[in-house]
Amino acid sequence: MCSPFRSLSRLRDVLLLGGVLLAVGPGCQRSSRTLLETAPMSAKAERDRPARNPYEDNAYAMTEGQRLYEWYNCSGCHARGGGGIGPPLMAKTWRYGKEPGGIYTSIVEGRPNGMPSWRGKMPEYQVWQIVTYVQTLDADRSIASPPGPREEHMQAGEGASSR
Amino acid sequence: MARIPTWVPRDDGQWLHAAKDYASTRFSSLDQIDARNAANLRLAFSFSTGVSKGHEAAPLVVGSTMYIVTPYPNYLYALRLEKSAATVKWTYKPNPDPAAQGVACCDVVNRGAAYADGKIVFNTLDGQTIALNADDGKEIWKTRTGDIRHGESITMAPLVVDGKVLVGNSGAKFGVRGKLTALELANGKVAWTAWSTGPDRDVLLGSRFHPFYAADRGRDLGVTSWPPDAWKIGGGTVWGWISYDPALNLVYYGTSAAAPWNADQRPGDNKWTAAIFARDPRSGEAIWAYQSNPHGLFDYGGVNENVLVDLPWNGAFRQVLLHADRNGYVYVVDRATGEVLSAKPFTRVTTSTGVDTNTGRPREVSEKRPEIERTVRDICPASAGGKDWQPSAFSPRTGLLYIPENNLCEDAEALEANYIEGTPYLGANIKMYAGAGGHRGALDAWDPVAGASVWSRKEKFPAGSGALVTAGDLVFYGTLDGWFKAVDARSGNLVWQFQAASGIVGQPITYRGPDGKQYVAVLSGVGGWAGLTVSGDVDPQDGTAAWGFAYATKDLPQATRKGGMLYVFSLP
Amino acid sequence: MRRTAWSAALLLPFTACRASYSALDTASPEATRITNLHWLILWVTGVVSLAVIAALAIALTRRRTAETRAGEGRRARAVAAAAIVSTALLLWLLTASVLAGRAVATPVGPGALRIQIVGHQWWWEVRYPADPPSDTVITANEIHVPVGRAVLLELSSTDVIHSFWVPNLNGKKDLIPGRPTRHLLRPERTGVFEGRCAEFCGYQHAHMGFVLIAEEPDRFATWLASERRPASEPIDAAARHGREVFLSSACVSCHAIRGIGAFGHKAPDLTHLASRRTIGSAMLPNTDGPLAGWIVNSQHIKPGNHMPPNLLPADDLLDLVSYLRGLR
Repeated sequence: MCSPFRSLSRLRDVLLLGGVLLAVGPGCQRSSRTLLETAPMSAKAERDRPARNPYEDNAYAMTEGQRLYEWYNCSGCHARGGGGIGPPLMAKTWRYGKEPGGIYTSIVEGRPNGMPSWRGKMPEYQVWQIVTYVQTLDADRSIASPPGPREEHMQAGEGASSR
Repeated sequence: MARIPTWVPRDDGQWLHAAKDYASTRFSSLDQIDARNAANLRLAFSFSTGVSKGHEAAPLVVGSTMYIVTPYPNYLYALRLEKSAATVKWTYKPNPDPAAQGVACCDVVNRGAAYADGKIVFNTLDGQTIALNADDGKEIWKTRTGDIRHGESITMAPLVVDGKVLVGNSGAKFGVRGKLTALELANGKVAWTAWSTGPDRDVLLGSRFHPFYAADRGRDLGVTSWPPDAWKIGGGTVWGWISYDPALNLVYYGTSAAAPWNADQRPGDNKWTAAIFARDPRSGEAIWAYQSNPHGLFDYGGVNENVLVDLPWNGAFRQVLLHADRNGYVYVVDRATGEVLSAKPFTRVTTSTGVDTNTGRPREVSEKRPEIERTVRDICPASAGGKDWQPSAFSPRTGLLYIPENNLCEDAEALEANYIEGTPYLGANIKMYAGAGGHRGALDAWDPVAGASVWSRKEKFPAGSGALVTAGDLVFYGTLDGWFKAVDARSGNLVWQFQAASGIVGQPITYRGPDGKQYVAVLSGVGGWAGLTVSGDVDPQDGTAAWGFAYATKDLPQATRKGGMLYVFSLP
Repeated sequence: MRRTAWSAALLLPFTACRASYSALDTASPEATRITNLHWLILWVTGVVSLAVIAALAIALTRRRTAETRAGEGRRARAVAAAAIVSTALLLWLLTASVLAGRAVATPVGPGALRIQIVGHQWWWEVRYPADPPSDTVITANEIHVPVGRAVLLELSSTDVIHSFWVPNLNGKKDLIPGRPTRHLLRPERTGVFEGRCAEFCGYQHAHMGFVLIAEEPDRFATWLASERRPASEPIDAAARHGREVFLSSACVSCHAIRGIGAFGHKAPDLTHLASRRTIGSAMLPNTDGPLAGWIVNSQHIKPGNHMPPNLLPADDLLDLVSYLRGLR
């Protein structure tokens, strides 16, 4: 069958596929899961070096961080951000700063007034997952956003707060 | 009418340890200030401690020197008491490990020192007991009984009995195994250690141990009433009050609730948590024990004070202790045998329908059991108890026990708790709020003979300070938003009040100054578990913050601020 | 007697199939009832299917006959007869199903052995409650039961819905967070049976298996007594060092070993790890190589599971494995 529209329908298919990939692409990054971690144990961290969070904004890291936050008893001192024994992580200003590298250092090295050190007890990638979750405890961001573009479309009306 | 035991010495105008006397009456026979002239009370002097956490201590007065212990970093000030100002005689700075702040469950508090034999003895947050020369503040000995790496700390006020300093540990919320240690007053060496869980030889249960109730009899119950090994991280810490009867030669104290909070992880009675012990102070051997909350579900620990009185019971006077417990009941217990004579609720209780005096066990309401994935609501009293550590006072003139109370209920959900040494071992989400009536605290005047309240003053916030009662028929207490009040002991009418700069969670005392006048002193500085929304900047937007207390005191930061001040009042 | 004869006849072709994970190889009365019901339905519906296909084939290939009144009447009677037979067969199957369901749901007497099973992602916590509570046995991924006694399983979950299924012994029962359920096992013969999670529960649902061993009552009692003891002491310096490695690494934050001060509650209890046949919830045999590989990087074996990799130095790893393999 030689349809004069064959090449056009082909083009349409290619454009459609490209459009879908473009729409899904950023979502793929957000909901990607790196499961096969070769994981160095958390080693000594230089004081507050501005290290980038490799899982920045990744939804799977947020939910894993939420699980680890409970498992490692972070919630025992910090509750769900409100604090108690430890200072509130929902607060606007933190004593040791809110940079991801600073949070990483707090967890790995501990801090003088009672924050224990987790060096050697937690692999590096788990520390970063907890950093990712802890950053969502800030009052401006919602907690443990669900992964995947589909959910984002369902909450499209809420705009930035759905992150 | 109940009366104070005859062995309580005459009041000499001093205040040598937090509870005033071994019976823990917190009653003073000084009567210069009374209901008629108390309205004229004014500030005689104040002193800033330089620390802004929860000040739970009772000041001590020995001769013309006052001793104050601050919260972490546990400065000990010796103040010369002069009429217009207190000058610092000496200061002792123990420099406790800053990491200890991370294992203090409920603010970095300290409940006071004790004076004996020319020495001032007190505990530091990082687990040390220190004895100083009361005159010049020189350190005589220092003994470490607790290790913060296990999550252990010390917040209690020691008691010196018969040449021994009795020290209990804190940290049940970290899975710390509870214990009471006796140190020799002369040199600080450990005389004996009585653990709160574990085999009989650790708990010092020997041939002299005769518990009254059948459930408390058996071998090694401190092991068999737990899943295997759970008693090693089971709590039962001794962070509260100790009383002493020199006639019976028994010290009385309670152990805290069991760890973890999630009771499903520890089937069994979990002995000897949430229990009252009577021990011989020379050897530490237990004579009797009574477990008030076996397999406790709501952090109803047994550490509250035991006030020793002689009570008319069925026609004769009986030697009892009065114990207003976290679970909402005022227990009257025979202090010679451990028999519960009565247990009447002093607040609304939904978690049990009474205490069965045949078995000594509360009749629990099974619908109120928190479970994993199930939120239980309207649990009253909340985990902070109908009354927490804040001590009551007893007046032999009115025969009433003055109880500073919490009026709080909670919603609770159990979680699976994970034990990691040095971190909290809990397993619960808690959210507390005001109980019936909307007020969150009260001061009750309780008649122990009738088992009922004679009058009650409602308070907006939990009544978080200790009580003091005098022969002037005045009850002194402070509130979380900083009001220091004097009320008529017979009627409950407010006679005088003073707005302190910061909320009051300390214990008021009264003493005779070097000029012969009567003074009333109290530490202000909001904090403790109840005051963490201020002292810890805890954010109540998270309903589970500060294990639920933040939600109950979310308006506290508008009502008061951090501080640390000693206030001393007298008549003009 | 007749029922047994019938089921024997129907099952004759399949009696040679002994399998450790098969609903056809029944080892308990409950499983037998379920499987018998299965065969009944299979045969009945099989025959009906063949009959329907045959009728269809006939209808398609037959010559068309004249439409007469008598023929119509015959056809109407045939349809009516088929409808009556179908209804009767369905009622028969319904009755058989109801009776089988009732037989499987027998109430359990107080003499049953109670076992608590808590489902986690993606492993099974197994507890044998006891009075006094200090005799409680806690293990993981391997369940021992005595033959000839009712076993009551109390099932619950702490995270998502799982489902307990040992096909040789009974049907499936869900483990639902917040809603405890119960399940009955009554093994009639000894054997080693496999079980799997039967409700999709996340990434490693397919690898959430367990082993159920039905053994003679005295062997079961011996096993239970052995499990009650605290962890065995290490027998040589390497194992002692391995214990140190365990206590100073991340292991102690999640795993418990009774008697050495490890009280973790988020991962399988390892006190008697070496007495189990498998690791990784029935994924791998419990021998040195797989154990070492699991410790070093379980993510390569069971990606997404909650145990992180542990890149230990070689000596530490070997000593740790040596210690763990001594925990009989």
